[in-house]
Amino acid sequence: MAIDSTPSRSLMPQPCQLVIFGAAGDLSWRKLLPAVYNLNVDGALPSHFAVVGFGLPAEGSLTSDPDEYLRNRAKNGIQRFSRQPLDESHWNDFARSLFFVPGSFNDARAYAQLKARMESLDQQFGIPGARVYYLAVPPTLVGMCVKQLKEAGLVRPTDEPHAFTRVIVEKPIGNDLDSARQVIANVAHAFDESQTYRIDHYLGKETVQNLLVLRFANSIFEPLWNNKYIDHVQITVSEEEGLVQYDPETGAVTGTRVGYYEGVGALRDMLQNHMLQVLCVVAMEPPWSLAPDIVRDAKSGVLNCLRPLTLTDIDRNVIRGQYIEGDMHGRRVPGYRKEVRDSFAAIGKPLPQESVNSTTETFVAMKLFIDNWRWSGVPFYLRTGKRLPKRASEVAIQFKDVPQVLFNQNPEVPLEPTVLSLRVQPEEGMAMRIASKLPGPKVRIYPVQMEFNYSASLGGTPPEAYERLILDVMAGDATLFLRRDAVETSWKFVMPILDHWKNSRVRDLPEYQCGTWGPIEADRIIVPDGRCWRTL
Amino acid sequence: MTQYLVPLRDVERELNKQMKALQGTETIHLQRARMSNLVIFCTNLEQSIEVFEQVVAITAMHPTRTLLLVGEPGAERELTARVTVRPVGSKRNVCVEMVTLHAGGSVVDRLPFAVRSLLIGDLPVNLWWQTPTPPPFAGSLLYELSENAQQIIYDSIGWPDPTRGVSATAAWLEQVERPGGRWRVASDLNWRRLKYWRRLLAQSLAEASAPGAIEAVDEIVVEHGPHAVVQGWLLVSWLSRRLNWRVQTGRVTPGVEMCWQFFKAHGQARIVVRRLDDGPAEIRRLRISTRLEGKPVSLLVEAESPQRLSMQVEGIDTAPRTVTVPPRSAIDLIGRQLSDRERDPMFRESMAVAQVMAQSVER
Repeated sequence: MAIDSTPSRSLMPQPCQLVIFGAAGDLSWRKLLPAVYNLNVDGALPSHFAVVGFGLPAEGSLTSDPDEYLRNRAKNGIQRFSRQPLDESHWNDFARSLFFVPGSFNDARAYAQLKARMESLDQQFGIPGARVYYLAVPPTLVGMCVKQLKEAGLVRPTDEPHAFTRVIVEKPIGNDLDSARQVIANVAHAFDESQTYRIDHYLGKETVQNLLVLRFANSIFEPLWNNKYIDHVQITVSEEEGLVQYDPETGAVTGTRVGYYEGVGALRDMLQNHMLQVLCVVAMEPPWSLAPDIVRDAKSGVLNCLRPLTLTDIDRNVIRGQYIEGDMHGRRVPGYRKEVRDSFAAIGKPLPQESVNSTTETFVAMKLFIDNWRWSGVPFYLRTGKRLPKRASEVAIQFKDVPQVLFNQNPEVPLEPTVLSLRVQPEEGMAMRIASKLPGPKVRIYPVQMEFNYSASLGGTPPEAYERLILDVMAGDATLFLRRDAVETSWKFVMPILDHWKNSRVRDLPEYQCGTWGPIEADRIIVPDGRCWRTL
Repeated sequence: MTQYLVPLRDVERELNKQMKALQGTETIHLQRARMSNLVIFCTNLEQSIEVFEQVVAITAMHPTRTLLLVGEPGAERELTARVTVRPVGSKRNVCVEMVTLHAGGSVVDRLPFAVRSLLIGDLPVNLWWQTPTPPPFAGSLLYELSENAQQIIYDSIGWPDPTRGVSATAAWLEQVERPGGRWRVASDLNWRRLKYWRRLLAQSLAEASAPGAIEAVDEIVVEHGPHAVVQGWLLVSWLSRRLNWRVQTGRVTPGVEMCWQFFKAHGQARIVVRRLDDGPAEIRRLRISTRLEGKPVSLLVEAESPQRLSMQVEGIDTAPRTVTVPPRSAIDLIGRQLSDRERDPMFRESMAVAQVMAQSVER
């Protein structure tokens, strides 16, 4: 008989080992290890728990004690990136449960060592053989890792409730429909769909989760959430960062993501996954329960209703761009093509022919429609880019204008529409812009904002998305993870764009200066509709 | 008031830090208040110090996030940011934010980039062009700064070349306020200063109080202090538009007066804008020659004191009529203008007439 320690309806994380593949990598250092540390500080981890890192560290960085290597790296990452400052007493407790097994992902002996170490840790920590494998590795290695896990006997069947095995797969899931299907099939060779958690960290953001609460726990919004009252929706993901970091003193390349990004671009990197997923949460029908598959069914319903894009639609309603030299935070920063050249020069590799004059898009804007009863005729404008003026992501719901009577009948200043904006980052929260009368004898109307900020209103900083998502996997809650049909449907939607771009073989993309809101051409998809991009 | 020098990238963080620090010291609940973004551009440090003091009072009337840009021509100077959050209002429970961005030489062109990253989305953007350069001559800098602005506020007082400035600004207004696209208005503080002059003149010439006076006007003479020629010009262009006069010829005697000949319904009329050698930079008096009850008279409107305008009919024994003028300091003018974003068709029409008047003296 189980003893419930909490009356909470939410699932509890179960005792397990979290095994991070690529524990020496960037994602683990910046996000995963700090996230697990924060869960530890918050008392959210199960009492019987350990973290095992697996992979090969950079040459020369491994010390004689591999566990100590991971602990040092984790401590450094927590000091630099954790939302909560490093506290020595918590750290000492946390560090005791950190371990590292060095080994190559394609070496069967390394998996044997990993297995032995995990079994020994099961004994040490009283863990019933449960595993969560976090594959923080490049997509090309996913197939190899799951195959080796299967062959090493590290994947248990689905009918063992306490000794469960789950795998977390990071994006990108493929780089087109075919390769996505391949990645899905590779994982499916070893893991059942119910064991597979495809992560999209945007769905772990508080604001995105709050969208469901906002819509379905308040009586005023859902009745308005349709084409009768909503004029349009804008979803923006704006990033300040470029692809390369330079040393401010010497100008030398100190870090680059060009290797990943070149040939991938903004459409694949952001729009196909994060933005379409956020769109699903905004536009989904009310699910009849909060059970994972019911919510995911509702989200898939949106993807299935996206109006397919014809070639004419793509030419008219999809704009891509690439940044050129400009200014960020008072410094001149180079354009994308120079970053590509510098990156290859820094690693001493020749520049590939297709990258000489790269046509990888660093900005994409799109107008799309959802052909269902609720959203018929309501345009959704999506926009994302790198090297834009500020890091800001939001969903903005713009309501229809009031009738042209009373205050909207020949107003001296056009009435600004009511807008509900949900900020995903950097400061999670929401704001509502409404029209208000200014004090005085004359009726003068001015837009004012009602604002809610998570950290200011509720204290502290909200948990990082990775914290919530890792906890969900340990609890077996797949609500915020992508099901295979959602991955495939979103790829199906963007494939005509990718194919059209590939076939059109343009030599140059519309340009925008770093530190501006994208190419002027992006206005073409919204201004003729009598609307404009929001200033963030 | 201390301003903290921070890297541009850390401005938002510093604003939050200062806000939290204030909340820790104040016993009353502090509220961050922002009705709009106010972007101010000036060209030297002395001017910016003066503006900084004014902004303190302006934000008490209309809470804003203020971005004070100092773009100095000449020597190169790297872009720096100084940040302050301060409580304002009688209860000091409202906090406003101010960021001073300072650059020199060619780095000035980079200010719009910094502005884009610091604007608060969803709030109206007001750009106060606080330089003696008329907006049309500001080039791409003003164009870029006004990219997201709903209102561009400038002040035509003290323009160095009034004729060129008026002519170019009238054309520029057509561009700024053109229909379609983002709604935008341009506002001249000098026009706002004339509000009570216009009110008193309109009432003095009204048919009910001065029957037949409008049709009989044949000369208007405006006297102004140094640097206020555009103010006088705006007033007479408005008046001639209201009187339905058409410009015939114009002549300038530099530093002394400007004179125009107009066609009116029956005959001709004359307007003179005359500079006084000293005194404040504002209109001092205006004399309208007309006829009342068949007699030739002059309506003399003058600034009796900074708070009062008066109108007296010379030639007839009547009591002077007066109107009270609320304070018109830069602070009051800007503070009111920020929440007053209506387009003023009368201003546009007056500027169109002023443009024709400018062209007549340029010929």
